[in-house]
Amino acid sequence: MGRYGAQPVLYAQILLNGLVLGGLYATIAVGFSLVWGVLNVINILHGSFVVLGSYIAYFSYVHFGIHPYLSIVTAGAVLFVLGYCLQAGLINRVVGAPVLTTLVLTFGLDLIANNSMILAFSADYRSVTLANPLGSAIIGGLVVPLDRLVATLLAILLTGILYFVLVHSRIGRAIIAVRMDAEAAALMGVKVKRIYAITFGIGALMAGAAGSLLSLVFPISPLNGPEFLGIAFVVCVLGGLGSVAGAVVGGLALGAIQSFGALLFGPQHGLTIAFALLILLLIFKPSGIMGRRGYE
Amino acid sequence: MLKTSLLSIPTLAVTLAAGLAFAAPAAAQDTIRVGAPLPLTGPLSPEGLKQQRGYDLWAETVNEAGGIDVGGTKMPVEIVYVDYESNTPRAVQSAERLITEDRVSFLFSPFGSGAAKAASSVSERYGIPTIAATASSESVYDQGYQFLFGTFTPNSTLTTPLTEIVVGADEEIKTVAIYARNDLFPLAIAKEMEASAAANDLEVISFDEYAIGTLDHASALTLMRQRQPDWVFATGYINDLILMRRQMSELGIHPKVLTMIAGPAYKEFIEAGGPLAEHISSAAWWHPSVTYDGEDIFGSTADYVAAFEAAYDAIPDYAEASASAAGAILQLAIEKAGTIDPQAVRDTLADLDVTTFYGPVKFGETGQIVSLEPPVFQIQDGEAKAIFPEAIKQADLVFGGIE
Repeated sequence: MGRYGAQPVLYAQILLNGLVLGGLYATIAVGFSLVWGVLNVINILHGSFVVLGSYIAYFSYVHFGIHPYLSIVTAGAVLFVLGYCLQAGLINRVVGAPVLTTLVLTFGLDLIANNSMILAFSADYRSVTLANPLGSAIIGGLVVPLDRLVATLLAILLTGILYFVLVHSRIGRAIIAVRMDAEAAALMGVKVKRIYAITFGIGALMAGAAGSLLSLVFPISPLNGPEFLGIAFVVCVLGGLGSVAGAVVGGLALGAIQSFGALLFGPQHGLTIAFALLILLLIFKPSGIMGRRGYE
Repeated sequence: MLKTSLLSIPTLAVTLAAGLAFAAPAAAQDTIRVGAPLPLTGPLSPEGLKQQRGYDLWAETVNEAGGIDVGGTKMPVEIVYVDYESNTPRAVQSAERLITEDRVSFLFSPFGSGAAKAASSVSERYGIPTIAATASSESVYDQGYQFLFGTFTPNSTLTTPLTEIVVGADEEIKTVAIYARNDLFPLAIAKEMEASAAANDLEVISFDEYAIGTLDHASALTLMRQRQPDWVFATGYINDLILMRRQMSELGIHPKVLTMIAGPAYKEFIEAGGPLAEHISSAAWWHPSVTYDGEDIFGSTADYVAAFEAAYDAIPDYAEASASAAGAILQLAIEKAGTIDPQAVRDTLADLDVTTFYGPVKFGETGQIVSLEPPVFQIQDGEAKAIFPEAIKQADLVFGGIE
């Protein structure tokens, strides 16, 4: 490989790495963003939801041979029910309270969730080792990790479905209505508390589905929860809060920035660069890349 | 490191419970009290809890056998724990409190080189024999102290034998890429590798550090793929190394030798890595696959591993074994001295030359162990096989096969 000829391939490879990673980041963040946008609740539990989704995928694969791609359904369903019940039973009591109150509640719930998972599953790192991995393909000089790519595509597909549901279903319109103006929505006959519970359930469902896909990528441990929460946070602020498009753009941007940051400034600075850009964005465009308007 | 602090609430409860449990027998006159300041809560708590398991196993084993034989009288041992909350200055205060208020006769150092060094000045001042189970840095021991002993050899003893084996083989290994977690031990061992490479005419084609909490190694690995190193030497903890190994496979990096420190010493790594763990080489101060026939209370290495498994339903790692060894070594010294007089025990420790389940034990001039040859091992057919030292060798290093 010539010195110059190699460079475009290198950059293309780094971009590909970044986008594949970014698609996964987007799915981690989209449910978090929805809950924050609609309920104005910063859900500290989100990272633990993702981890729980990973465990469901892990145990489904180890005990029943169910591929993590398919576990999206079970992980999503379990997490939806869990999220719905938590919101209906507990968090609805503090929605509308000052942000510190909701923060403390979800923080406390997260401590319980995290320690329960450590007790139940131990803090050992586990990993889904597929019997028949897809491996990697080399396309035009680029190495394409296929399992990761499929996980990313499924992640983006799921996010697309969420967008479609929000825009085209009655529930979706009600969620958007509550997001825009909860009081006005209530006057129009929308049962706001129920919509809150459904929204929180959907947020958890997306986290569970993301976790299921991530079980193919990251080692699984309750200790990962805070890392995933951190990513969700950054992606939301980067892309813009409360919109599906914002989460997708934010996720892809974070993935790409991190990859190029690591390439150009060394791997210890990938995250530094991403956070530095985040601070700049907060100063110059606090509403995020996609702005404030993207309610869907 | 914030994530580990979430562990603190249950561990705090455990610590309190342990404290209460130990409060009762404290009044007994004929027990040997050993102080152990440990980071039982806070970011270092996983390490602190490991050490506690190692000490506890020793104390329980001793007490089940009736105690330590001190000149014909059997004296039970009691370990007095203080949680210093992963805060080094507090570790020093804890050590002082243990000596002056709890009146311990001996001390086990706090975790790691930094805290062990800080606390060693206290035990030196009071003349309390102290054993450090997890301090490898030579700077801990070169202070001219008389009462400090350590069971870890310097970091270079992990990288040098491995480098010599790799370079000495007929495999044309010319280049090494070093990839290190930017964290105390992982970075120190990577720097040590750099020195070992230089001493053996290996070209270090890259030395990269990654941040704690990194969730993606693709950029660094893409560059590594271009450079085609013969040997990849990566450091970090188990989660880093599993993720990294998976991404190496995805991106098609197949070096002739792949060394990872400090994950493969754990069974959990082999399970999580599956076929990808195959042929990864590593080194640690101790490994359950070594085979020593000890004259200490645990007996052979296999007996120790079995006792540990029976107690905790887990395979001991080097930190746990080193903690148990610290206890076993102290016991041997007390029994040989026939007294718990600090000066006499200190002198016996300094002259000790014995074999334990942990390995041969002889302390050098500075108090750091000199007799131990940390094993180099490689994962073959899903099991860690010892490659070095010769006395416990189970297999030859296999080159290639990193898919």
